[in-house]
Formats: sequence, structure tokens, C-alpha cells
Amino acid sequence: MSNVAGRAGRPAAGNHVTEAGKARVVTSSLSRRTMLKAGLSAVGAGLLGSGFRADGAPASGMTAEEEKLYADAKREGKVVWWTAHYAQSAADAVRDAFVARYPGIEVQFIRQTAQVVYQRLTQNLRAGVREVDVFASTDEAHYLILKRQGVLAAYKPLGVDSLPRAYRAIDRDNMYHVGGLGFVLINYSTKLPVPPHSWTDLLDPRYKGQVTVGHPGFSGFVGNWVVAMWDKYGWDYFTKLAKNNPKIGRSINDTVTDIVSGERLVGAGPDNYSLESKQRGNPISIEFPTDDAILIVSPVGILKDAPHPNAARLFESFYYTRDYSLAMAKVANYPLRPDIPPPSGVPIDKVKWYRNKAERLEKGVPEAVGKWRETFNV
Amino acid sequence: MREAALGPVVVRRPRRFDLSAGVWLGAAAVLLFLVVVPLVWILIASVHADADNRLTLANYVEAFSRAIYLTPIRNSLVLASFVALIAVPCGTLLAWAVGRTDMPGRPLVSALIFAAFVTPPFLGATAWIFLAAPNSGWLNRAWVALTGAAHGPLNIYSLAGAIFVIAMYSYPYTFAFVSSGLELVPSDLERSAAMLGAGWPRVAWRITLPLVRPAIIAGALLSFLEAIAEFGTPAFLLIPARQQVVTTQLYLFFQFPNRPNLAAAYAIPLLAVTVALFAVQQRLLRRGRFTTVAGKGGVRVPVRLGRWRWPLFGFCLVPPLFSLALPYGALVATSLSRAWGRGPVPGNLTLQWYRWALVDNLAARQAIGHSVLYAAAAATIATVLAVFTAYVAARRLVPGARLLAFAAMAPFVVPGIVLAIGFFAAYARPPLVLYGTAWMLIVAFATRFLPIAFSGVDAALRGVDLELENAARTLGASRLVTLARITLPMLRRSILAGWLVAFIPSLRELSSAVFLFTPATAVITTLIFDLSDAGNFEPVSALGVIMMGLTFALVAVAYRFFGGTALVQRRGG
Repeated sequence: MSNVAGRAGRPAAGNHVTEAGKARVVTSSLSRRTMLKAGLSAVGAGLLGSGFRADGAPASGMTAEEEKLYADAKREGKVVWWTAHYAQSAADAVRDAFVARYPGIEVQFIRQTAQVVYQRLTQNLRAGVREVDVFASTDEAHYLILKRQGVLAAYKPLGVDSLPRAYRAIDRDNMYHVGGLGFVLINYSTKLPVPPHSWTDLLDPRYKGQVTVGHPGFSGFVGNWVVAMWDKYGWDYFTKLAKNNPKIGRSINDTVTDIVSGERLVGAGPDNYSLESKQRGNPISIEFPTDDAILIVSPVGILKDAPHPNAARLFESFYYTRDYSLAMAKVANYPLRPDIPPPSGVPIDKVKWYRNKAERLEKGVPEAVGKWRETFNV
Repeated sequence: MREAALGPVVVRRPRRFDLSAGVWLGAAAVLLFLVVVPLVWILIASVHADADNRLTLANYVEAFSRAIYLTPIRNSLVLASFVALIAVPCGTLLAWAVGRTDMPGRPLVSALIFAAFVTPPFLGATAWIFLAAPNSGWLNRAWVALTGAAHGPLNIYSLAGAIFVIAMYSYPYTFAFVSSGLELVPSDLERSAAMLGAGWPRVAWRITLPLVRPAIIAGALLSFLEAIAEFGTPAFLLIPARQQVVTTQLYLFFQFPNRPNLAAAYAIPLLAVTVALFAVQQRLLRRGRFTTVAGKGGVRVPVRLGRWRWPLFGFCLVPPLFSLALPYGALVATSLSRAWGRGPVPGNLTLQWYRWALVDNLAARQAIGHSVLYAAAAATIATVLAVFTAYVAARRLVPGARLLAFAAMAPFVVPGIVLAIGFFAAYARPPLVLYGTAWMLIVAFATRFLPIAFSGVDAALRGVDLELENAARTLGASRLVTLARITLPMLRRSILAGWLVAFIPSLRELSSAVFLFTPATAVITTLIFDLSDAGNFEPVSALGVIMMGLTFALVAVAYRFFGGTALVQRRGG
């Protein structure tokens, strides 16, 4: 606990200065004072130990609502969670934090790329197989489709109002909520003297054979990025990228492995897994591109015919606890709650970002996958 | 029906209650369910549109007119041809060295080849990524360090890389065929040639090899079939290389956006190729029996290699070096690393991934349990079915008994991935939804490996004398009682061996499991495949080592019970 708070307590300092410095400041709604306060509160939580939360409520003291939900969930004993939001290690950390807060409930989870979990969900629904409780994809469009099909449960998670106002109600019918915040940005090997600064830099012939990317037919992050690049620069961006002979993996996290292992030097990668890898001492860093980091707002929702409905509700509510945000920060993900400082040192509203509309993704991603296959053969 | 079923029985006895007919019909029904229904469903699915389920031929038009779908077919043919081209000389040479010469260390070489045989190629492909990825591969880095070159010479992410890896795991097929071929051929002719002054290379080239030519061709065809049906290796090595083969393309059809019916149409030529090649192989094997007059009795005298003994031994260790020593070394090293990219440096050593797989991660723990359970269930079903079908076919107990035998052997020519598409089409929709349950995988594994179990039991059954059975029947025992009391006890060892040879490949099956599992029914191989998508190579390696540890432990037990031959001989069937 104190460890987490300690690390979280030094925002925008040390190793992260480069990223912070290069990201152009667009808005400044989150003031230095807020940041400081957030940092202090985290430190305070650390100092006070686990007996008290920063907001003053004792750790064991759940609200009556939460107690009731926990008791009901405990009777179900288990929650099945499919997530594409982050790397395996981050999902492990979330599982650990949940089990620590709610002993007696097993978390059975898979971490897979968005299109793979979506595909498996679709196949299950078609065959009438009830398996998953909580579904967390990185492609917002999936939720538009699932909502239309009427397979999502309406539920307002406990504590969802602790989110920043902008992310509080992405679906007005409460069928899904924000479960993750992340970016597609430039990843590079620290062996490079100067990192690429913009997405168009990746087209430079000097990176021939040195670029790594994921696949939009698998990864929701990559699908988002491809649609964004397509809308910004036209499909030409990818015909040019193909000339640089990129290595194409499946998940966006594969690019991190490629850079860490020295297989490639630069990539269109995630913020979270790269930073986590960097924290472990690997030769990788991130760069917020001048032509916009792609912001991914990843939803989470509960299936209407979830086999463990109460555990599902408890698990979705868990997303909005401090424990969840602390676990997220520990594995270098943007925390959902504004009172936990971001591990990148750069709060989201200070990043120059671009975000695809969910409606655009719904039509754009399948089209982009088709065009991608024509361009890259896979 | 009962009348008909009992019809061919020679000794007519007073009618009484005998379960036989029901049992035989049951076996037939199960075969229908396992083999015929999925294949029929592929055909049905292939002529229906993915979008609105309309009856149409558009899937075929789309699958075979667009360049993006035609290139993978060409790549598959190139891949499979070159695999056969490498695997066959390799396997033949090894078989000759082990079976015909006085080379030292022959049992060792045999054991190593068997180890390569049970290792799934996709695991080898993973290991070869650590060894020969263009920039980060350890062999390439060593090369750069030694020579100061800018780049290492190897690129495993290429068609050549995939060919190499698959060939390194498919030469054991040729080895098995040629070995058993050599066992049938006495060495009289070779000795005559030697006495007439021919040196051993000339004898081998002019006499020995032509004698086993059918076995060599059979090995070549099997290598080709295995390579064209292989899914894991191309998925790991060729997707990053931006090259598709038929199997990876089929997998993509099952991804987003989902096109299962187009996949069915696209799978038909794969099925056609394997069926045609199998037919060719059967013809060759039938026509080409070169068995010399002496039959079994001839004496086999090993060729004396003289000073070539040790060089040949050294040469025979090269394929195992590529298929075992290097890959297993790389897998174990990676499984013990915090981050494999850092290489074997101090501070990088950890057992955390084994802890992760065996203790911490529920999904991993369950996958390991599922793998063992499903493989055991599948092997049991396959063996029981094999015994009944082989018995019915051998004793001609029902009309069309040979058709039953044919059905039991049919999955042999159906690539795993095609079978999986058939299973998905047939059993992921009402009335019978197996998808989402363990049975989906168990039944698919049982079907895939039924032919191996069947051919073993069938061969053993042919060796059993009818006299004892007839005696029991004459004394009034029913067909079932005779089977249970007389025939089965005599076949016990073969049945156990059949179970094992169905269990081992079930444990390492990927190409059909990857289409049929849901996260609740994940097995080790699908978990490995899932984890590899984000480059989580450390847990992948730990799971791979655990899987092979289970396999080799079982093989060791089998050796204790049966000796080496029981397992090795079955492969040829």
C-alpha cells in the first residue's frame, strides 16, 4: 500500500519528464493544486496504513449497499470476467486487488484482444452459451451492437459518480460504463538517440524493418488507431507504412515485447504496458505524438444473462473503488478516479489527444480490417 | 435389423437375448455422429451466406476468385512440398542408419526421434522465435557478436523459417515408415551386392532404398499432409511475416468480422487435397509391396561402416539438435527468465512463471487440468470405439462392416482445422449444442485420434487366432461375452498402447481446439496460443515445459510397461 502511494505520490517527476515535456498542453482544468492534493491524499493513505482510506472511511467499512452486494455475490462464489483493457499482468493485479477486498469470490478471467473476446462472446450468444459475467472490450462499438441486441444488463455501479464528469455516463441507459482509459502512442527503444515525434515519422525510411504494430482484426487499441490514422491522413498512410515492412503482431501489447527484446525499435503501442515494462527496467519509453495520442475510452458492461449476476455487479462496481485505481496505477495504467495521480505523470486532460466516436468505430473498424488485409496480406 | 445383424454369424444358435446388435448399432451411430455429420455440415455451411443464411454459391466464388485468398493456397502448397523435400531425406537417412548399420548410439537416436515426434511443432516454432527472430534471436545475436556483422543471418519469420520448423518435426513420419519397411526386407540382396564388390553407399543407394521406396513415398505424403494441415507454426511465424497459408486464413475467417460459412467453402479444397493424397498413398502401398520371397525369415546383417561410424552418428544428431536440444534449451531458459529479451543474465532467473501456471492463475490451473482430463476422456472414447469397430469389421458382424472401418479411418485424412469447422457448424447450434461444454473438445479429440487407436487395435486383432473365440462361441458364450472374456484379455497390451497413442496427441492438440474452446473450456494449448498474442513468452514457455513434462512422464511410464516397440510401431498405421 505504502509502496503504491509512494510511487503515485511523485507525479510528473523523474523519468517521466520527457513525456510530460513533449506533450503539448491543451487544457489545464486539472490544476497543479489538484495534482498536489491528489498526491498528498495518496501519500496520506499510505502513511495511515490500510486501516483508513484517504476519504476517511475505514477500509473494512463498506457502505450498506456494498455489504449487501458482497454478501449476495459471495453466495455465487465466482465472477467470470473477459477483458481486453490491459496486459495480462495488469489483469492479474486487478484480480489480486478484488480478491483482497472481497475474499471468498473467485475471479476467473481471460485477457485477450478486443475482437477475439467479442468474437467469442458473439459465438456464445449465438449458441446460447451463458458463460461470461463482465465484458470489458476496448472497442466502444461493440457496446453499441450488444446494446441493440438487448444482451446487456442495465445497472448503475456503486461509486460510478467518483469518475470525472466527462466519463460518468457514456451510456445514458447505464448498459455500460467507462472501465479503462489509455492511449495509443509512440513506443520506442531507448537505444534510439532521438525518438520519432509524430505518427508520420513512422513512415520515414530510416525505420525500415524497425517498426512494430498490432493487428486491427484482433486488437481494439489497434483498430482505434487505424481508424484515427485513416481519418487523419487517408489510407495512404498505411500503403506507405507497408513499405517500411512493419512486423505485425496481434495484440497491441506484442509491440512492447518486440521493442523490449530488441526485435524492433519503434512502434504504435499502448501507454500502460510500455510504462509498466519501463518501470521494470526494460529499455523502452513512450512518446506522446505531436499529431495526437489516440485516446481509448474502454467500456465495461454486464451481460443480461450473466451466470453470476450479483458478483458481476460487485465486480463492475469495483472498477470505481480506490483499490481498483490504485491497482491500475501500480501497473502503470491511467487510474479511473481523479484522486489517484497518473503513472505517466501526464493527466489525460493535459495530453493532446484524439478520440474516435463510437459510431465511427462501428462502421470504420470492420472496413479498416478489410483494407488492412489488402494492404498487409494478413 | 437384429436379424440382419446376426445374419452372417456362422454358428446359428437358438435365439436368446444378446445385446450385440444394439451395441454394434450404437458404435455405428457414434461414428456417424463423430465423422459423417460434421463433414456433411461443412458442405451445408459452405453453400449458405454468412449474412442471411441464404442458399448460394457465392462463398465458393469469393473464396476462389480473390487474389488475397488464392495466395495462401499457393503458400500452403509451397510450404508442404518443401517440408516433404527436407523431411524425407532426413527421415530416410536416419532410418537407414538406425535400422541397417552398425552406427553407435542407435537406441539413443531412436529415442531422440521419438521425442521429436511427440513435440508439437508450434512449441518448436515458439522456441525458434527466441533463437532466430531476425534482430533479437539468440543465434543471430551470437552471430553478430562473433562476426561484427550488422545483421544475423536467420529470419524465422518467413516461409523458409516455417518450412524448417515443420520439417524438423515431421521427419519422424518418414523415419517410422522406412524403419518398419526395412524391418520387412531381409538383407540377402544387400549382402550379394556387397560380395560382388559394391561399397556400402552403392548398396544403400541401389539396393536398400529402392526396396523401401513405397515406405519413403508414404512418408513423403504424410509429411506433406501434416505440413499442409499445420496451424500453430504458421500462426506464430507467418502472421508477423505477413504471409498467409490456408489454415491461418481459415482462422482469420473465424475472427472479426466472422465468416464461418466462407471458411467452410475455403476448407473444401484442403480436404480434397488430403483425401486425394491419401488415396495415392494407399495405391502406392498396395501396389508396391516389395516383400522378397524370404518373407519374415531373412537374416538382417548390419552394414559395416568402418571409419564412417562416428561421422554418421554425428550427422544423425543434427536433426535432434534442431528439433530438441536448441528448442528445449530455449524454452526452459525462457520459462526461467523474468524477461526473455534480457537473455540469460544474473537477476533474470525466476521460478515465478511456474508458480503463475501452477498456483496463482486460476485460468492456467484449470487449463492444465482440462488438458489432462479431456485427453484422457478422448483417448478412452477413441479406444472403446476403436475396439468395437475393429472387432465388428474384422469379424464382419454387420452388413457394411467395412464401411464402419472406413468411417473410423476417415478422420485420418481430415485436417484438424477442417474437422473443427465441421464440428463448429454441426454442434454449436440447436438441436445439439456441445459448444461451451467440455464435450466439444473431448469429442473432437476422440474423432481426430480415433484412426490411430483403430489401426493399432485392428492390426493386433488380425494377429489373434480365431480358434479360441470359436471355442467359446461353440460352448454357448454370446458374442459380447466372448469379446469380453477371450478377445479383450488377449489384446490388453495393444488396447493400452492404443489409448496412449490417442492420449498423447490429444494433450498437445491445437488446430481444432482453437476453434472449439470457450474460455471456460480452455486447455494448455489454447492458453499458449492466447498468451502468445501479446508476446507473453515467459508464461508460454512455462506452460509448454509443463505440457511436455506431462507427455514425457507418460511416455516413460509407457516404456516401462510396454518397452519401446509398442509405441513406435503403431505410428506407421
